[in-house]
Amino acid sequence: MIFLILLPLITYAAEDSYQFQTKEDQARFSALTGELRCLVCQNETLAASNAVLASDLRGQIYQKMIQGKTDKEIVDYLVERYGNFILYRPPLHLTTVGLWFGPFLLLILSIGYLLYYVRKNQREKR
Amino acid sequence: MIPELGSFALILALCFALIQGTIRSELTVNAVFGQFTFLSFAMLCLIISFINNDMSVIYVREHSHHLLPFIYRVGAAWGGHEGSLLLWCLVLSAWTFAFIIFSDKKLSKTTFSTILMILGWMSAGFILFLLSTSNPFQRDFPLSPIIGNDLTPVLQDPGLIFHPPMLYSGYVGFAIAFAFAIAALLEGKFNKEWARALRPWIILPWSFLSFGIVLGSWWAYRELGWGGWWFWDPVENASLLPWLAATALLHSLIVSEKRSAFKGWTLLLAIITYALSLLGTFLVRSGVLVSVHAFANDPRRGLFLLGYIALIIGGALALYSIRIKKFFKPSQFQLFSRETFLLINSVILLTAVATITLGTLYPIVLEALNLEKISIGEPYFNTVFVPIMLPALLLMGLAPHVHWEKQSFLALWKKMGLALLLSLLLAFLLPWSLGYPFGFLTWMGISLGLWILLSTLQSLLKQKTGLNHWAMIVAHMGIAILVIGVSVNKSYSEERQVKMQPGESIMLAGYQFTFDSLDKTKGPNFESIKANFTVGNEPISAEQRIYPHDQTLGKTGIIFNGWRDLYLALGNSLPDGNWSIRIYYKPCVRWIWFGGFMLLIGGMISLLNHYQKRRGAL
Amino acid sequence: MKKYLPLGLFLLIVILLWRGLGLHPNLIPSPLINKPVPTSRSVFLGQVTLLNVFASWCEACAEEQGFLNQLAKNNKVRIIGFNYKDTPLKAKAWLKQYGNPYQNIMVDSKGETAIDWGIYGTPETFVIDKKGIIRYKVLGAISPDLWEETLGPLILKLESETL
Repeated sequence: MIFLILLPLITYAAEDSYQFQTKEDQARFSALTGELRCLVCQNETLAASNAVLASDLRGQIYQKMIQGKTDKEIVDYLVERYGNFILYRPPLHLTTVGLWFGPFLLLILSIGYLLYYVRKNQREKR
Repeated sequence: MIPELGSFALILALCFALIQGTIRSELTVNAVFGQFTFLSFAMLCLIISFINNDMSVIYVREHSHHLLPFIYRVGAAWGGHEGSLLLWCLVLSAWTFAFIIFSDKKLSKTTFSTILMILGWMSAGFILFLLSTSNPFQRDFPLSPIIGNDLTPVLQDPGLIFHPPMLYSGYVGFAIAFAFAIAALLEGKFNKEWARALRPWIILPWSFLSFGIVLGSWWAYRELGWGGWWFWDPVENASLLPWLAATALLHSLIVSEKRSAFKGWTLLLAIITYALSLLGTFLVRSGVLVSVHAFANDPRRGLFLLGYIALIIGGALALYSIRIKKFFKPSQFQLFSRETFLLINSVILLTAVATITLGTLYPIVLEALNLEKISIGEPYFNTVFVPIMLPALLLMGLAPHVHWEKQSFLALWKKMGLALLLSLLLAFLLPWSLGYPFGFLTWMGISLGLWILLSTLQSLLKQKTGLNHWAMIVAHMGIAILVIGVSVNKSYSEERQVKMQPGESIMLAGYQFTFDSLDKTKGPNFESIKANFTVGNEPISAEQRIYPHDQTLGKTGIIFNGWRDLYLALGNSLPDGNWSIRIYYKPCVRWIWFGGFMLLIGGMISLLNHYQKRRGAL
Repeated sequence: MKKYLPLGLFLLIVILLWRGLGLHPNLIPSPLINKPVPTSRSVFLGQVTLLNVFASWCEACAEEQGFLNQLAKNNKVRIIGFNYKDTPLKAKAWLKQYGNPYQNIMVDSKGETAIDWGIYGTPETFVIDKKGIIRYKVLGAISPDLWEETLGPLILKLESETL
């Protein structure tokens, strides 16, 4: 039994750079680093960047995850230091209401207006 | 001597552009020809300066190196701001030239010459911009021997040769549609003939732009080394915006041509499309945004471009406001009709345009108001743009089956209900039977892709299929394949970032990657460390290259078939003797680009139809 | 009225972009401003300080160093160094070559403390008041112009504040 468990370890000595207990944590890590901005790069995520700072921050995030910190705690930790600029998903504030709801509002209003306009036109024709 | 000739050619081209813009006569045709000749000559001079490694030319010095391989020295001619701007001018004059040769002879002489004059002013503005702020031929002669700065390694790729010319042929080409619209507004005339004459000048640049965007995505995928093919970077948005507007324009024009409706809307879309092309140019070249591909910036350039855009587009929109009444005609269609569907589609596409513009410019708004500094990236666009586009995909499968003027809902349901239910079911069963987990968005995406595919195929069954219909079928199926590709890729990609050394293996998505050996190799202008892997029996290798001036670049290794890509990127060497390696499993990623390629094919078929008809008519 | 909507929207965007030309998209303001220093608080108490981030691999740092040396020589302000991702040996050699204006140096070879300070590049300089509160942050090199216009007056003001 022990032999069987060890077997994969022998065959695949290579290991993940950031090792997690579960697949979910691995996925969390990818998702989190994929939504944060590398500050020194022109426009890249922490996950994609080769910059030194990006690698340091990935390490910090990994450490925090191992310590059992939640996504929110980790993000708050980074925002405290680098500001909201580090988030590729801007938080919903008073200043970003237009950003988050504007497009949907615009879609509803413009389709509503369009339908109203077509009907009105028809009635006038009659 | 050659750079001076190039500068001189630019000045002559400017003179010709001014003649083209001011004189209404048969002779303007010669001015177009002269301008095209001298701009081509200037481009040739620039390329020759690169080939000769003429480092006294500042632009060459900053974008080349004496070790740079020949083919990239040619491509480097448009690898920076100045040269790519020259390419822009050249492409514009090539379009104008093509317009003279191929334009519909039924177009009235006045309309024809008005269009040429408008294009003349547009060209003059850009050549003036080139000469006054961004002359690629500027020289100086430092005393010490000069070593070139080298072309950014990321650009040293075959993508550099094809992608920019293709992309520019796309969005610069919309200048013709823009000029058509202005001519129509000035003359107050917009009839069927006019719409037909305009059509190829929208289809062709739209096809080029579609394919140009695909080439860019493919290039970024191979170069950037993290398996992504779209990042919502401002430079990508700059090309997607005119594409979306042009897609709306294309459909609106069909209605204008066939049903003589939506005329005002078509004119507005033609202006918006070109405005977005210009906006994109401004965003990339002015330095107002942080992008992966920002050109070196100089505030004077931004100011010139902005003034120019304000003048041209502001003027066009003012003209539109004044003259649009003439084109108003009460509509002949009912609420439930193909016209309404196409209008809704236009509205959705424009909302998508507004969304991307908002997402791209919002950080500037907040900063200008001194409120906050934020980033807006992929997560935002995925959350907002995707749901907005979904209804457009639903309509896309439906609209070709809806009658003009009026349609009964029940008849439509009877006709299309089966295809709809079938696609919903298949989208559920297919991933399940292959053992993939269920995800709501994945299901929606695949359903919509299948729905477009099935309903498009269904339209083949009954209708008489002319070339135009085929063009629509191919293009819509292209979108269907793209949508399925995106959904599958976004949902089922896998990746691992690992530490390993030669001799070790790692599993990903059922594939065993074995690290065989590490080589040191030398290229024409770089030294490289190459990690050789095998997957099954297939070799795959990734590199880390070091170019002159210690610029490094990772070169990814990819093996692919129709279903999936296996992707390998080599990272840094670690102190413990391991190498940091990233491997990706990317299902259906090629479908995305193939779908985009089908848009080009669809466009070409439509063009073929256009010229066949024209020949028939003569 | 409706027909002027596209024109109005367009002009709005043009005005926005025109304003945008004067902004600096690359500079990221620090959220730590007006907050106490995140580490080594006691070092900063009682005296106005410049905390200057430097490294031997940083080219712009070398350019800035001459001016910092002048400031230190003329006793304009206390300067503390923050040696970022460097080795002691290289840092010492570098200071020998370009001059050492620092009264004291914080060493962060791994770049961990730097994250607490929100440092993302070199050089960066923090202006810290007598209570150990960060009052200003300079991104990039300090130039004589910047000193004349902003930093000098700010430091005079901070010096006059009582504890």
